[in-house]
Amino acid sequence: MSSEIIEVKQLTKQFKLKKAVNNVDFKIRKGDIFGLIGPNGSGKSTLLKMIGGLIYPTSGEIHLFDNAVERNHAYFERMGLLIEDTGIFPHYSAYKNLDLTAISYGLKNRKKHIHDLLDLVGLDKSNKTKVKNYSMGMKQRLRIAIALMGSPDVLILDEPINGLDPQGISEIRKLIWDLNKTGITIIISSHILEELSKVATKYAILYHGKVIENITKEELLLQCEDRIEIEVDEAEMAVLILENHLGIYNYKVMDDRIIHIYDTASGSQQITKKLAENNIYVHSISKHKQTLEQYFLERTGNGGETHD
Amino acid sequence: MINLLKMDLNRFFTNKIMYVLLLVFIACQVFGIFMLKQYEQPDGQGEVLISNMNESEFIQMMLSQTPSWILMYIAVFTVYFYMSEYNAGFYKNYISIKNARRNSVISKILMLGIFTLLMFFIMIIADLIGRSLFFQNAAFGGFGYFARLVAGQILLHWAFSVVVLCAAMLIKNAIPSIVTGIILGLNVIGIAAGALESLISDTNLTSYLLVNTIVSIKDFNHTADVIHVAGVAIIFLVLFSILAVKYKMKEDLK
Repeated sequence: MSSEIIEVKQLTKQFKLKKAVNNVDFKIRKGDIFGLIGPNGSGKSTLLKMIGGLIYPTSGEIHLFDNAVERNHAYFERMGLLIEDTGIFPHYSAYKNLDLTAISYGLKNRKKHIHDLLDLVGLDKSNKTKVKNYSMGMKQRLRIAIALMGSPDVLILDEPINGLDPQGISEIRKLIWDLNKTGITIIISSHILEELSKVATKYAILYHGKVIENITKEELLLQCEDRIEIEVDEAEMAVLILENHLGIYNYKVMDDRIIHIYDTASGSQQITKKLAENNIYVHSISKHKQTLEQYFLERTGNGGETHD
Repeated sequence: MINLLKMDLNRFFTNKIMYVLLLVFIACQVFGIFMLKQYEQPDGQGEVLISNMNESEFIQMMLSQTPSWILMYIAVFTVYFYMSEYNAGFYKNYISIKNARRNSVISKILMLGIFTLLMFFIMIIADLIGRSLFFQNAAFGGFGYFARLVAGQILLHWAFSVVVLCAAMLIKNAIPSIVTGIILGLNVIGIAAGALESLISDTNLTSYLLVNTIVSIKDFNHTADVIHVAGVAIIFLVLFSILAVKYKMKEDLK
């Protein structure tokens, strides 16, 4: 079996005249925390519902654990779902909600299993309180506990931090890390890139139903790092000068002409001067600083065009 | 499937409101018998006084008068039981289990059958209390006849609940679903279809409609009537169960 446990190919969902998800492709490896980011209405929930087996694609394929789910729906059994803010009976206690889920899974030794889960999400002490009296953060933790009931390999969390206060967000973040350490692959959607960037290891940016960018955490951080961007005639020659004359080693050659220098302590003037002295023509040089939010808005704020 | 049924049973029997509603039903039924005693008139067909009827005749008479409390209760319960889970989104917690879509519908249908049984049991108990108190008459009549009548009506009412379940699944909203259930229970469609049929032909096909069969008085000593009741009940039950399962299998869940 390959390390990719989820693969979607040309996945499309059309509701009447609107394509909520349009020809989406991506792969998720075992152990990833896969962040799905996009503004409200970009198709995140629809995409997650298709992966979770709640709705059917109009076209395209979903492969779970190397198998096309169209042929065998049993693979959905290995997924735990927290999709949109429902899934619990508010007039029942946390224990009762978990117990009903445990019964539907046919679990033996339900009591121990439920207490283990309540302990894991930090709700063991308030398990008899009616859920309608819970805070938003407690409800989200309970939903995560319910999603973990079938001991899933993949956990799908749709906007799990929506409406939470900073402490609640921090608790959920820690819980996600802890779950991931146990080997659970996590797909998490949000429209808050700043928060998602703290947990996810890989991202897909969704806009108007299309994935406009797939990016790893390292690549994202690199994109958002302070840097000097230079455009020269010959990048290959320029880097020799940067290394030998200026002692700059922290850089990345983007193409034949563009170099990104991450050692921002080096002055622009000094770099230009040294390159010019060595007959390297500098077309442009600029300092570049971008927050994660700016990065996201740049990609989604103008029709989803990418700017590499 | 058994696990989902166990889960539904657990929800059903741990719901305190259900017991309150059943007590209210008993109270209403007993009060209804008290009112019948107050305004008692001979039955139109057989000139039999209501207080002299045995339980079989009494059940037939009560069920033939729309609105039937038991149909209203079944309609409301069906919508409540399905929509409470649907609106809470609780199905998302088990829907990834193998064959969960199909099994969850079958489980709901079985639960409706159990509720219908319970309603009839409660109704018979309430009738006995009320008739003993106000009519000083708790006679059952012939057991075979009574058993055929109750079994036939339970099947018909169960089929009715499955029709309402289908409506709730399609409508996906509690209030319009309850209104639909009540309209079906009041036999508005059956009356309208019957009137239309009498205007355009001499046939009596509308007598085979579900609620028309529930409200029409049958002779359960007569094989044709027994076949009519059983046939209508089984056809509606099977047909709408298949529709409900097929729909759920293809439904895009919210």
